[in-house]
Amino acid sequence: MAKKIDLQAIVSEHYAALYRFGLALAKNESEASDLTQETFFILAKHQEQIRDPERIKPWLFTTLRREFLRKVRAHAAHPEVEFQPDEHEIPAIESSQLRTIDGRTALAALETVEESYRSALELFYLGDLSYKEISATLGIPIGTVMSRLSRGKEQLRRALATALEGDPHKIIPLPESRSPEA
Amino acid sequence: MTNEQAKEYLSTLRASGADEADPTLQEALELARTDSELGSWLAQQREFDKILVEKFASISPPEGLRETILETLEETARPIRSWRMGWFALAATIVLAALLLGQKVDLFRGPSRLFQSFRSDALAMVAVKPAPKLDLETPSLETAEAFIAAHDAPRLEQFPQKLQAMATAGCRVFIWRQHPASLTCFRLPSGNLLHAVVIRADAVGKEDMPSRPYSENGWHLMFQKKAGLLVMWASQAPMEELKQFIET
Repeated sequence: MAKKIDLQAIVSEHYAALYRFGLALAKNESEASDLTQETFFILAKHQEQIRDPERIKPWLFTTLRREFLRKVRAHAAHPEVEFQPDEHEIPAIESSQLRTIDGRTALAALETVEESYRSALELFYLGDLSYKEISATLGIPIGTVMSRLSRGKEQLRRALATALEGDPHKIIPLPESRSPEA
Repeated sequence: MTNEQAKEYLSTLRASGADEADPTLQEALELARTDSELGSWLAQQREFDKILVEKFASISPPEGLRETILETLEETARPIRSWRMGWFALAATIVLAALLLGQKVDLFRGPSRLFQSFRSDALAMVAVKPAPKLDLETPSLETAEAFIAAHDAPRLEQFPQKLQAMATAGCRVFIWRQHPASLTCFRLPSGNLLHAVVIRADAVGKEDMPSRPYSENGWHLMFQKKAGLLVMWASQAPMEELKQFIET
C-alpha cells in the first residue's frame, strides 16, 4: 500500500535543485519556474501511486525532463552520436581560477557541452543523481552513463578553460562580498 | 581494469561522497589508492566537481517560488476533498460501474497498473514527433538487431517474416524501471513508422494484457508475449496494415 507522502517537505527539499535543472534545460527562468511547478503538480496528482518514497527524487527529475521534452518535441529529433575521445590534451584548470567564476558562468559553460553528454552532466551536477538514477532517468545503459559523464566532464573542463583564458569578458569574477555563499 | 577504464568509473563519483560504498566502483577506487597518477587525477576531479556543485548551487530560485508551488498544491487538493462529498462519490461510483460494465472489464483481473504504466510510457516515447529519439539510425534490421544485442537489451529472436524485409528507421535501447528494453522502428510502405518495443514480460507484471489490437488517441496498439518477452507494437498506420505485417 502506498505511504502518505509529505508534499510540503518534498517541495522544500527538492524545489531549488529542480529549478536549477529546469533552468539548465530551458535556459529561461520563467520556464524553469513553470517546469518546477508542473512537476510538483504532477506529483500531487499521482501521490497515491508513490510506493517507494526513496525514489521520489529521481522521479521528480525524470518528470521535469519529460515535461520539458514534451514541450519541445515539435523540434526535430536529434540522433544520439557517441563521439570518440578527443585526442587533445585536457587543459588544466587551477582550483583558484575555477573559484573565480559564478554559477551562471558555469551554467553557460555547461550549455556548450554536446547535448548527449550534457543531459548526464545536468543530472549529475544539478540533480545530484547517482549514475544508476541517471541511467533510469535518461533511459540509457549504465555503461553509457559512465562514458558520457567522463567525456562530458572533459568537454566541460575545456569549455571552462576556454572561457577563463580565451575570452576574459565572458568571465566576471565576483568579489568575495558579492558571492552568494558569503 | 586499465587507468582509462577506471577513470570512467571514477567519473561517476558524486562530490557528496554518496557513492563511496558502491560495490561497482570499488575496484576503480582501489586502483586509485595504489596508482599515484590515477590517485592524483581523482583528487583533481573531485576538487573540480566539488567547486562546480558549489557554483551551480549558488544559483537561487526566484523568490517566492516555493510558496507559489505550495499554494498551487493546496488549491489542487481542494477538488480532491470535495470529491468525498457523498452525492458526488455516489454519482462517480455509478459512472465508474457503468464504464466497467460497458467495457466488460473485470476489476480484479484487468491489466495491472504496472502494465498500464509501461504501455503509457512506451507510447509516450514512440509518439514523439516527428520521430522518437533513436540511438542508432539505420535502414538495416540486421544492424539494428546487432546494436540491441551489443547493449544486452532484449530483442525478438525473429521478427514476423513480412517485417524482416522492411527497412528500419533505427533502434534505441533504454531502461524502464530498472529493466532493459529496446525499440525498433520499421518504415511501412504507407510511410508510417511501426514501432516494436520489447521488454522482459515479467518486468510489467504477470496480469492479463489486451489480447486484441486496439486503438488509442490515433495510435493502433497490439501486445504479444513471445519466449518470455513482451512486445508492444504501435503505429499510426491503418489497423489493417498493422495487422498485415504483424500477424503471422
